[in-house]
Amino acid sequence: MIHFFLFAWLTGQSAAPDALQHLQAGLEARKQHQVDAEITEFRKATELDPSLADAFVNLGAAYMEKHDYGAAIAPLKRALELSPDLPAAHQFLGYALLSQGYAAEAIPHLERVGARDALGIAQLQTGQLLEAVGNFNEALAKRPNDPDLLYYLGRAGGLLSKSAIDTLIAAYPDSARAHEALGENYFVLRQMPQAEKEFQEALRLRPELPGLHLELGQVYANSAQWPKAEDEFRAEAKLQPGNAEAAYRLGSALLQEGKMHEARQQLERADALKPNMPETLYSLGKAASLDGDAVLAEKSWNKLLEIERDTSLSAQAHFGLATLYRKQGNTVKARQEMQEYQKLQTKVPQPQNPPN
Amino acid sequence: MLRQFTRRDFLSFAALAAAAPIFEVKPLRGIDFILQNSATSQKYLIETMSGGAALLDYNNDGLLDIFLVNGGRITNSLHVPENFDRRNPRYWNRLYRQNRDGGFTDVTEAAGLANAGNGNYGMGVAVGDYDNDGYPDLYVTSYGKNVLYHNNGDGTFTDVTAKAGVAAGGWSVSAGFVDIDNDGHLDLFVTRYMDWDADHNKICGGDWHTYCPPNAFPATTNILYRNRGDGTFEDISERAGIAAKKGRALGVAFADYDGDGFTDIFVSNDGMQQYLFHNNGDGTLKECALESGAGLTSDGKGLSGMGIVFQDYDNDGRPDVVVTELPRELYAVYHNDGDGSFSYRSLESGLGSLTSGSSGWGVGLEDFDNAGWKDLFVAQSHVLDNVQQIDASLRYKELPLLALNHNGRFERADSGVTTPLAARGAAFGDINNDGWMDVLITTLGGPPVLLLNRAASGNHWLSITLRGTRSNRDGYGARVRVNGQTRFATSAGSYICANDKRLHFGLGSAEKATVEVLWPSGAKQILNDVRIDQFLEVREPEHA
Repeated sequence: MIHFFLFAWLTGQSAAPDALQHLQAGLEARKQHQVDAEITEFRKATELDPSLADAFVNLGAAYMEKHDYGAAIAPLKRALELSPDLPAAHQFLGYALLSQGYAAEAIPHLERVGARDALGIAQLQTGQLLEAVGNFNEALAKRPNDPDLLYYLGRAGGLLSKSAIDTLIAAYPDSARAHEALGENYFVLRQMPQAEKEFQEALRLRPELPGLHLELGQVYANSAQWPKAEDEFRAEAKLQPGNAEAAYRLGSALLQEGKMHEARQQLERADALKPNMPETLYSLGKAASLDGDAVLAEKSWNKLLEIERDTSLSAQAHFGLATLYRKQGNTVKARQEMQEYQKLQTKVPQPQNPPN
Repeated sequence: MLRQFTRRDFLSFAALAAAAPIFEVKPLRGIDFILQNSATSQKYLIETMSGGAALLDYNNDGLLDIFLVNGGRITNSLHVPENFDRRNPRYWNRLYRQNRDGGFTDVTEAAGLANAGNGNYGMGVAVGDYDNDGYPDLYVTSYGKNVLYHNNGDGTFTDVTAKAGVAAGGWSVSAGFVDIDNDGHLDLFVTRYMDWDADHNKICGGDWHTYCPPNAFPATTNILYRNRGDGTFEDISERAGIAAKKGRALGVAFADYDGDGFTDIFVSNDGMQQYLFHNNGDGTLKECALESGAGLTSDGKGLSGMGIVFQDYDNDGRPDVVVTELPRELYAVYHNDGDGSFSYRSLESGLGSLTSGSSGWGVGLEDFDNAGWKDLFVAQSHVLDNVQQIDASLRYKELPLLALNHNGRFERADSGVTTPLAARGAAFGDINNDGWMDVLITTLGGPPVLLLNRAASGNHWLSITLRGTRSNRDGYGARVRVNGQTRFATSAGSYICANDKRLHFGLGSAEKATVEVLWPSGAKQILNDVRIDQFLEVREPEHA
């Protein structure tokens, strides 16, 4: 990449001829991929003409090529002293400084050349999280599947979220939102009694806050306290009748409690509110099957299989269909579905049981 | 005029409103047994699996006696060949004879059961009269070698393992006597857990330092021994088709699920598919759990199968299966649909709410309130002794689950146990012969716990002892129907335990009973107008 920037600048230089000769020799060495020779020639050029900015830029570039970023910094800085507008020098210096941990110093250089990816990283390291997220998003628009960019965006987003929550908890510790955030933290840590306490306190402070009953219900569901989970999901569904997740969670809790008919009704509602959700379709199929409605069960599972083909959920749908057909005496279709299920068993990574 | 409502009235009303516990935790007078599982920091998997118990009347005096299996001594530097120090009295198995006053006397030495054999870390026990001499024999499973003790009928036992050829080897867990070929001699099925030894132990869980899941070790085969009828057994695992299926078996139970007259075998496997061995009646068995709908959950997932019971929970006359498991799974209920297949009915039966946060081991379907429906009892505790550090919502020690059966749907009831236990085995029987089923639980590192039924209602009962003549003497494999309820005669099931072989029926308010026995020989017997609230021996007709 270095080559692209540097050739053009040789034209129109007014410098010591022997310095230009070494500069030219350095560029020839670059064509031959002889990095050490490049460095020797460019260094000689800078010694013969300490005001030859191009020689400094090329020397810095050669060090970059050699991954000796620390050594690249000084010549690149000198190049910018001599010629403050050299874009290549700004870009290389920005990368070199960033690679050596001088993120704050790198930022103005990276900003100048619009290097969004590196700029985002520098901002992430200096705590400018909002700006970093913006730059990563811009970079991702050009390279949507870049794993490094996706990682950095995720990390910046996570830190931004943590920072906001830390501020919330520090500044407004008695607010419902602070208790909600703490509850979410405890939930992630699987500390359910503490999570329950925090969500309950948040609800006491702001009973109308959307999402709180849903979160508290999930605490109970995680601890297998299904009647309590049902109560909370029901409260959320009442608070937000248009919330598909609330309907889905309520349906799932009811299913767990063996209340098949009502479970099915709630899952049908969830499906109507947000169609084509594989989890909803699977549970709806299960509830319908247990409620004696084989037609709806078959329809739901087949719909799921139109959406997902190679997942653990689709394996479950095949198994459900196999059971359904076996009970109907349709052994041919039952066998087909069982074969599909077994095929997926070897393909789809199975969730690990907790240690026992 | 209205009477004034006094404080005494209030208290008695409150007592009625809160349902009384079904059981009372009773001290076991004369029993000083501590289950020595010897937990170490090396997390040898055997440490967390022991605790066999049997309720049997070894001396035929009409009182249930208690046999308890001990683990053994384990050190942190355990190496093959392991010793386990089983000659040390601290690590003996123990036999306690029940006295007329309800207390127990340790008769281990006198009975010849003192030395379990170094190298054998004890697991479980099976009970059956394999030689039809009228006295129950003992088969003790181990990590190491299993031991068959012949009951001499004079209060003593003789180790006949070598002669009988049933030592097995490897890691045996649950076992049970069953007449596979209906020849009148009890055969023996032995589950084995995995291919494991101390030199190949692993520790899992990273910093948490826990016991490994079963799939960390290779699967192994179960064993079926055919009783030749001359005091010796033949290993027919290969020929019968049992050895073709490797698994990680912990529990076994027997019943004729398809009514073809031959007893079938259900094996609970840990962390995988369950096995249903259909008895073809020609000396072979075919594993058919998956095609019968009894191998996986309704979501097509494997189970951490541990304890098992194979009895009819919904009074439709057909044996169903309940398998106990780990948290995040539900105890599996496989309902026998009567067409040779099963439906997974954990949710419909109410176990979704009751069991998804618990770990179950010993399990029984017994009519604890004599209401005419078999209730569910499960000895509970997690496998990992440090599970709470890993998942704060789980507990190592748990209360047992008692769920009363209301027309096929289970609802939690108060067992009367208030202290969580590290429970493993659960053996079921009427220990005090009062017509109400009791439970004996074993606990890791602790004493056994007796739950004596409080006999709180006025319901009636009938307890039946089968006396086979053409069939095996215990009548194992017989189907017994009493007033519309069905039991399949066996002492096997639960986890590593042997139950009272008497068949207990709660009769509710019935004043008479009709008893129908279908013997393994094919003989059918009907007794009408049978008196209730009695212990009844039913003798098989000697001629067809």
